[in-house]
Amino acid sequence: MSTISTNNLQSKKKIFEDKYIVYIVGGLIGIFLLIFLALPVLNIIRLSLTEYLPKQHEFTGKITLANFIDYFKNPSMVQSLLNSLWIAIWSMLFTTVLAFIFAYGLTRTTIRWKKALYYIAMVPLVAPSMLQAMALISLFGSNGLITAGLLNTEWNIYGPNGIIISEVLYCFPHAMVILYTTLSAVDSRLDEAAASLGASGLSSFFKITIPTARYGIFSAAALVFNLAITDFGNPIIIGRGYKVLSTEIYLQVIGMQRFDLGTTVAVILMVPSILAFLLNYYFTKKSASMISSLANPEIPPSRPAKKWIFTIYSWFIAFVLLSIVGVIVYKSFVKVWMYNWTPTLSHFNFRIPGGMGVLWTSLWISLIVGFLGAFLTMLNGYIIEKKNPFFAQPLYLFSIIPAAIPGLVMGLGYILIFNTRFMNLDDILYGMPLLIIINVLVSNFTLGTLSSITNMKNIDNSMDEAATSLGAGITRTFMQVIFPLSKVSFMSNLIYYFMRSMVTVSAVIFLISPDVHLAAVSVINLEKDGKDGSSAAMSTLIMLVVILVLIVFGFFTRKKKEMTVIE
Amino acid sequence: MYRKLFIALLITILLAPAFLFAGGTKEGSNEVVIYTALEEDETSDYLALAEKELPDLDIKWVRYSTGELAAKLIAEKNNPQADLVWGTAVTVLANMNDLFEPYKPEGWNALPAEFKDPNGYWTAIDMYVAAFCVNTDRLAKKGLEIPRSWEDLTKPEYAGEIIMPNPGSSGTGYLQVSSVLLWKGIKDGSEEGWDFLGKLHKNIVEYTNSGSAPAKIASTGEISIGASFGYRVAKQIDSGYPVEIVFPEEGSGYELEANALLKGARNPENAKTFLDWAISKNAMAEYSKYKIMVTLPGVNSKSEIPMPAASEVKLFDMDFVWTAANKTELVEKWTSLFQNKTIAK
Repeated sequence: MSTISTNNLQSKKKIFEDKYIVYIVGGLIGIFLLIFLALPVLNIIRLSLTEYLPKQHEFTGKITLANFIDYFKNPSMVQSLLNSLWIAIWSMLFTTVLAFIFAYGLTRTTIRWKKALYYIAMVPLVAPSMLQAMALISLFGSNGLITAGLLNTEWNIYGPNGIIISEVLYCFPHAMVILYTTLSAVDSRLDEAAASLGASGLSSFFKITIPTARYGIFSAAALVFNLAITDFGNPIIIGRGYKVLSTEIYLQVIGMQRFDLGTTVAVILMVPSILAFLLNYYFTKKSASMISSLANPEIPPSRPAKKWIFTIYSWFIAFVLLSIVGVIVYKSFVKVWMYNWTPTLSHFNFRIPGGMGVLWTSLWISLIVGFLGAFLTMLNGYIIEKKNPFFAQPLYLFSIIPAAIPGLVMGLGYILIFNTRFMNLDDILYGMPLLIIINVLVSNFTLGTLSSITNMKNIDNSMDEAATSLGAGITRTFMQVIFPLSKVSFMSNLIYYFMRSMVTVSAVIFLISPDVHLAAVSVINLEKDGKDGSSAAMSTLIMLVVILVLIVFGFFTRKKKEMTVIE
Repeated sequence: MYRKLFIALLITILLAPAFLFAGGTKEGSNEVVIYTALEEDETSDYLALAEKELPDLDIKWVRYSTGELAAKLIAEKNNPQADLVWGTAVTVLANMNDLFEPYKPEGWNALPAEFKDPNGYWTAIDMYVAAFCVNTDRLAKKGLEIPRSWEDLTKPEYAGEIIMPNPGSSGTGYLQVSSVLLWKGIKDGSEEGWDFLGKLHKNIVEYTNSGSAPAKIASTGEISIGASFGYRVAKQIDSGYPVEIVFPEEGSGYELEANALLKGARNPENAKTFLDWAISKNAMAEYSKYKIMVTLPGVNSKSEIPMPAASEVKLFDMDFVWTAANKTELVEKWTSLFQNKTIAK
């Protein structure tokens, strides 16, 4: 008898302690987001509501709605909002459908070369968002390799359709990551059961597969919507006068130095973005977990026809994604695209501050971002999904807001608020890589957290409960049960963060300092200077570095074969 | 035990970067921090010389486009991170005197009055000239003549073949629009300039955000004619594109690139040393390898890229005090006339 009561006491104490650990860790993440997300964003909202004197470069502090009234009175500004929505909706539909079929092929069929396909699908992540548009113009512009070179047609890709295609190419891997994680964890035996009960392939696909994967689908769609609506690089290059909100922010802030109008457009842009994620939240809340800890990763052999269809589809997508990158790689080795095809290495002779060193700077910053980001978002997902403390909802909301904020605005928000001599904060944060690291961490917090939440949903609560009832504390549960089960998710978040950090431009362009020059920023500067070849060469080197690092990561994960879902 | 380990790990991970990268304070060092809008390859050359001639200075620099640089200066207004601005468009700087500390560098007197602010807010080092970048290959394919003048650009056959920078966001764009307005006598109250820009507008495909974009787009053959600036076009020729540089017969607008000392600079003395060097004879000689003209009399341009000297180009009469002072009004009028129309179609 006495032993049982001490056990009870101990476990009560443990539960009590556990609660505090959740509060402290969750609280720390919350405070971190409060400082590095809420503060700059609230500041931007405040500035959009403040009177600005453009000649004095000063906000007067007087509260006014004038900026918003001006915005909605100007038909061209309103048009840019409609254009943004049009682009975002079509990009979302195309990307989600294409990525879902691709992820389905990888997780539910027995096509071969899955690992290769998975990595090819990730390839666009290693490129700055402008790369898609740059490659598309090289191929389909009015003097593109295919349009002018092969077909000799006047048709070209500029305008809204060009933006949508670039966005689909750019967003594809982002959606794929989420859908792949979802589909590989959803219990595929439900499909089998349906099939054995006589349901046709298609009907079980629509009645079982899609509904059970809906968390992932909504998350992916919301994320793509946000990526597409906040992307700036592609629309500015390929849009040809087709104005969207993000290019409008750039024009106002960078072009005209109108911080008041720029922040106003930024606030308007945040509305549809945040709405998209709130909708997503509402849907996921309504659905119950479809996931079982007994989920069976064994897939029965697919019928030959199915196998062929998915093989052709997957390799077609892979081909398109690779050609986009291939064009840029090719471009870095020829003298003048379309005019002089002599092979050359001269584009690799970079005359930029930092020289080749920019690659190293980018590399080590990205490695730190990768580990920190993967760890923080996993903790965050665990606390929100499994521990559900009283502040879980606000924490979730904070975690999804970053995707709704364009990088450019985030970068601006950072200088406007963190550039202060107070306690020499600027020496620690501003102009130091630390602020860049935090910025990339926070800007990409959404996908990290979402995929980590999806992953946590996939881990049956019984795991957690079993660990607790066996006397494990929360830390032990996390490290010994949750962490090993989340290995795939952790690695994919790490890789995602690492890649994002290697290619992020718009947010950090304001944060680079004389001490820290980043490779991706050099890509844009070289492009601006008209050195298309060198810009392509730097992109090629960035991709090379990322692929090398991925191979190293891959080597480490292969050692733990039993944990990897990718065969 | 796991708990403690775990918490320790968490704290280390959260704090490690702060310890790793928190640098020492910068005050009292020999550092000077420069923001410049000069292009990266020319800057590398200039700085190679600067490092030789100013061995005691630890020069750190970042390059931004003109708009980015201006936005960054304004955003950092209350706590400037840079000490000085080097080689940035005067029409932008002249509107930002409140951010600068007047300083007349050594050798200031040798520069002609039109190349410096009388109070020393800015000091110009060189001039850049607007020019058309014309893709001869594309024009030949379309059976079109090379345009030689502003009037030529308004001919209907060039419809859809011209691209130009937006005067709101691009210094070059503003330079072109303001020079055309000045040419057509806007200071005497004439509206002719606006009519001319209206005719031009009919042929224009897109207004780009930057002044180099039109030259780049024209060189890659996406469009035939890009209204840009001389240095950029010359560089495109140098890179092997089938383009020609055209200075319009009526005249070309031009713009100065200038230096300024930032108010609240951390290393004002070092900044002054650099600003003195930046208008020295040796520095000017180095600029002249890239520029059509430098502001120090007696230093002639010996451009290593295919570009004529300033004396061979017909220039419009510019009035920087007037163009800087009227920028907001002119850009607003231009935007209401043309920008909205572009979007509507």
